[in-house]
Amino acid sequence: MRIGTREEWRAARVALLDREKELTRRADELARERQELPWVPVDKEYRFESDAGTKTLVDLFHGRSQLLVYHFMFGPEYTAGCPTCSAIAESFDGFLVHLNQHDVTMLCVSSAPLAKLQAYKQRMGWRFPWVSSQGSDFNLDFGVSFTEEQQRHGGEYNFRSFPTMEPLFEAETGPIAEQAVATGTDPAGYMRQAPGMSAFALSDGVAYHTYSTYARGLDVLMSFYQWRDRAPLGRNEGDPPQLWLRRHDEYEGDR
Amino acid sequence: MRTGTREEWLAARVELLEREKDLTRRSDELARQRGELPWVPIEKEYRFETDEGAKTLPELFERRTQLLVYHFMFGPTVEGWPEAGCPGCSFTADSLDGAVVHLAHHDVTFVAVSRAPLERLNAYKERMGWSFPWVSYGDSDFNLDFGAFTEEQRTTGKGFNFGTPKHAAEIDLRRDELHGLSSFAVEDGVVYHAYSTYDRGTDVLNLTWQLLDRTPKGRGDDPEGWPQRHDEYPA
Repeated sequence: MRIGTREEWRAARVALLDREKELTRRADELARERQELPWVPVDKEYRFESDAGTKTLVDLFHGRSQLLVYHFMFGPEYTAGCPTCSAIAESFDGFLVHLNQHDVTMLCVSSAPLAKLQAYKQRMGWRFPWVSSQGSDFNLDFGVSFTEEQQRHGGEYNFRSFPTMEPLFEAETGPIAEQAVATGTDPAGYMRQAPGMSAFALSDGVAYHTYSTYARGLDVLMSFYQWRDRAPLGRNEGDPPQLWLRRHDEYEGDR
Repeated sequence: MRTGTREEWLAARVELLEREKDLTRRSDELARQRGELPWVPIEKEYRFETDEGAKTLPELFERRTQLLVYHFMFGPTVEGWPEAGCPGCSFTADSLDGAVVHLAHHDVTFVAVSRAPLERLNAYKERMGWSFPWVSYGDSDFNLDFGAFTEEQRTTGKGFNFGTPKHAAEIDLRRDELHGLSSFAVEDGVVYHAYSTYDRGTDVLNLTWQLLDRTPKGRGDDPEGWPQRHDEYPA
């Protein structure tokens, strides 16, 4: 930290404002470019288990013309949802109404059986729609689940191929080991799922895939990071970064 | 819309990914630059009305070392007064509760601050189903001091958002509530002002905007009567 006068602060702040505005304009430009991506018709029939029975992808739009899917990491062998995905999903109930009123349906999809999703959702006190893709290729096709074969001998995540995940399973401490424990699995089991978000459009009864994003492409969904990026000490996670996120009912004490 | 094959989509998507990564890196870099702004010691004493009685600015930190203040527009010049807060701030506030729980557990206290009396804030908060902390700065100069940073701005009330022209004519900092975010730090008992941002500087804190930016049709033309307070949409 460096202490300064109001005048020094103001001069530095105004210079930074110009760079912030430039970033906002670039973000707007990328949003425009996303809309120019070609729409790819989804030919495969996917089945989802929902609170209201079995649904197709077209059903999931729920009468609206756009669909956002958050690929929530909750594999069949997990005993609880991923803590980081839980921190993201924590915000959904607050704002989904505004998306719905803007012709966008948003929901979570995971490969765990519906009963597990429902039980966890009840524990966390959430209301947003959450469906199971168990038994379909949905998660594999949209790049958020991996087979054991892919984990051992290579696959692709975030549009980039990886030769093997195995070295990542060895660490006994660190974020992967911790999240594996938190989800009742081992590192390999935990990492058979990955986070992502996909967007779809519906036109004349045909569903189209328009966009998917992964990894730090999801940063904007983590609004607690966006707030921290504006706090005096920033993200402040240590080096190497420590995982400080917990499920909201697992924090100790009041801080 | 334009339809395409999976291969065409992938080629375009990967190209876009490079620009997205560049944006993420720039965003990280700006966060780093925010951390380099000088901290300005605050000498003035402010009083806030809170659910636990009157508090000073240091007391709002709740024993943490960082404080984020959301300037929520709720005062006599705001649409909905005296029963309701600003519709736009209410729209942004619908993204707050999910983030606040995680901020508190990593040394950051969050609080929304408005001019309206505490009982008005609490009644509206209950109506909207929010749980984030919300306090009143009442008749103090708190908002003026963190919106006007020169003597001229304080005297004329002009110069919202560091004098950028967009709202220059219509906003009077002496009278109007303003929409923004300010951040503070406490060290050795001294409170410092570190950062403030307004207008689209809070864009990334509104998850609805961020998600619309990733939908097939984008923000588009807002549907009529959008956004509204979440309990005012037609059934």
